[in-house]
Amino acid sequence: MPLHDINYKHWEGIHLGVWSRRRAIAWNGLTACLQVRWMMNLVVLCWGLGLAAAAVLFLVGQLLVTDSAVGRWISTLNPNLVMFANLLAGWLKNHPEISVGTTQNVLFYFMGTWLMRVSIFALGPIIPLLITRDLACNAIVIYSSKAVTRGDYLLGKFATAFGFLTLTWLGPVCAAWFLGNLLAPDWTFFWHARLALENILIYGLSSMAVLSLLALGVSALSANEKTTTAFWFMWWILGGVIAPIAQHTRPWLSHLGFGFNLNQIALHTFRVADNIKSAADSIPILGAMLENLRPATRSALETPHLAGTCLALLVMLSLAAWAVHLRVKPE
Amino acid sequence: MSAQLVIETQALCKVFGNQKALDDVSLAVAPGAIGLLGPNGAGKTTFMKCLLQLQPISSGSAKLLGREVGAEGREIRKRVGYTPELDCHIPGMAGCEYVTYCAQLCGLPFQAARQRAHEMLDFVGMGQERYRKIDTYSTGMKQRLKLAQAIVHDPEIVFLDEPANGLDPKGQRQILELVQSLWRAYGITVVLSSHMLHDVEQICEQIIIIARGRVLVHDSLANLKARRRGSAEVVVPGRHEELEAACARRQWPCELLPNGHVKVEHRSESLNPLLNLLHEIQLAPLEIIPSPNALEETFVQALEISHAAA
Repeated sequence: MPLHDINYKHWEGIHLGVWSRRRAIAWNGLTACLQVRWMMNLVVLCWGLGLAAAAVLFLVGQLLVTDSAVGRWISTLNPNLVMFANLLAGWLKNHPEISVGTTQNVLFYFMGTWLMRVSIFALGPIIPLLITRDLACNAIVIYSSKAVTRGDYLLGKFATAFGFLTLTWLGPVCAAWFLGNLLAPDWTFFWHARLALENILIYGLSSMAVLSLLALGVSALSANEKTTTAFWFMWWILGGVIAPIAQHTRPWLSHLGFGFNLNQIALHTFRVADNIKSAADSIPILGAMLENLRPATRSALETPHLAGTCLALLVMLSLAAWAVHLRVKPE
Repeated sequence: MSAQLVIETQALCKVFGNQKALDDVSLAVAPGAIGLLGPNGAGKTTFMKCLLQLQPISSGSAKLLGREVGAEGREIRKRVGYTPELDCHIPGMAGCEYVTYCAQLCGLPFQAARQRAHEMLDFVGMGQERYRKIDTYSTGMKQRLKLAQAIVHDPEIVFLDEPANGLDPKGQRQILELVQSLWRAYGITVVLSSHMLHDVEQICEQIIIIARGRVLVHDSLANLKARRRGSAEVVVPGRHEELEAACARRQWPCELLPNGHVKVEHRSESLNPLLNLLHEIQLAPLEIIPSPNALEETFVQALEISHAAA
């Protein structure tokens, strides 16, 4: 005799709404992503970098006040540095929008673009988990026979990719901004750094949305896991290799890689060149220092090709949508 | 009347290129255990897929559980279960995780979904193997799992596409018993698609026979079994002239077959008139082979149509 009742029982509970089903798809995908070997380590690395950025902001903040613990510690190392610290404190008092706002904006531009590369790399092994595996195992039939539409399925998968990028990009960067300003000597740092946060959110959310949609498109290209992963890396790496070469010969070719286009969005959003120029104009000593910047670096920071970027991304997203439309069907 | 029907179709057509997979299918099906019978490629799977909106309908209309197919997809599928014929699963999951996830996709809260998943896995007879990855399952386990995911959300109707395919006789019997109990014990309407007459006969009360996308017959199993053409083959020991003469007197057409049997058209569903005739002429037959019932005959007809098309 069985220990429990093995007969069929009817269920009389209340069905949850469609958003809970979409959430289930997203959550299931995210769980599967984190089960990929090394992926958890990679996520931890991203958060570690976020903490490191917060520590840098803390140190910079401490240098901007005269009687800080870090200032006192520096004076024990070299008494001449006290003068430098006092200079910085004066700078903060006179130009908080530059000492805090511009500093954080530039820092988060570099951190953001660098961490975006890590996220693109991390997406490679994740790509097959989005749609590729479902195509290989005919899972689309199972999804289609449940109380979800193709739109719900794709929304859930999009949320998986977006959620994963939140873990590797948006989360660490926002945490760095918040912690860095929380540990600053003055609450006004939050106010002066608001533009940096705004730029982080604009760049982060738009880039993550684009990357998630492109990842869905690539994932739908084939039912073979190696093919889709290889395609993603090839596209990214080739785009990265072509961009600097093509800029001097056929600039439009640079837009073939999505990495270049995302970088253009970052340049346009953070306006690093404008920030540097206004800082140099306000503080002559800084202007003299920035004169030493290499022309190539200056040029790369100054010219975001926004129209070309928008057009290229539009084409890429259309192709991704087309691939998804063709491939994600029950049969 | 309409409210009691689970499936209603009007001139339903499905075309793939220039081939008609479903041709003017009009049906009104009441709840019960319904057998969808036909040879391979007859259109059974396409019919189910059209009802489940896995395939768009080319023309005509269909209602499932009183709701218009194509207009209320999510609502219909919340009340419907489906086990596909193909090997389909969501990869990288253990059996119980998979069934839980399928329940969540139908709107069950996680805790309830997990509990239901274990109950359904118990019901289909899966033990500790439910904690193993699906990719390691045998065909029999996969068939059980498919059934569990189809009923985990307590549907009102469940479509089973060749659920006993690839199983040994014992496994087939167990699966068919489970399917049978769904309607008989728990009131869940079952639509069983199969090309095996024996399987359908065992379980179903209503039969729909399809060949080349057309419905040849839709009736209850009892009616189909009772209905026979009024003819029989009589095996007689060399006195067939006598039998032919007696039949002629009653104006029953008869013919001597190449195998020596005499085929008699006695025009009655019962064999009694023929037995009376044999008694009258004092002829003891070696064997009387009645004509096949309508179910067998229509199924054979479906097979012949299918072979002719091939």
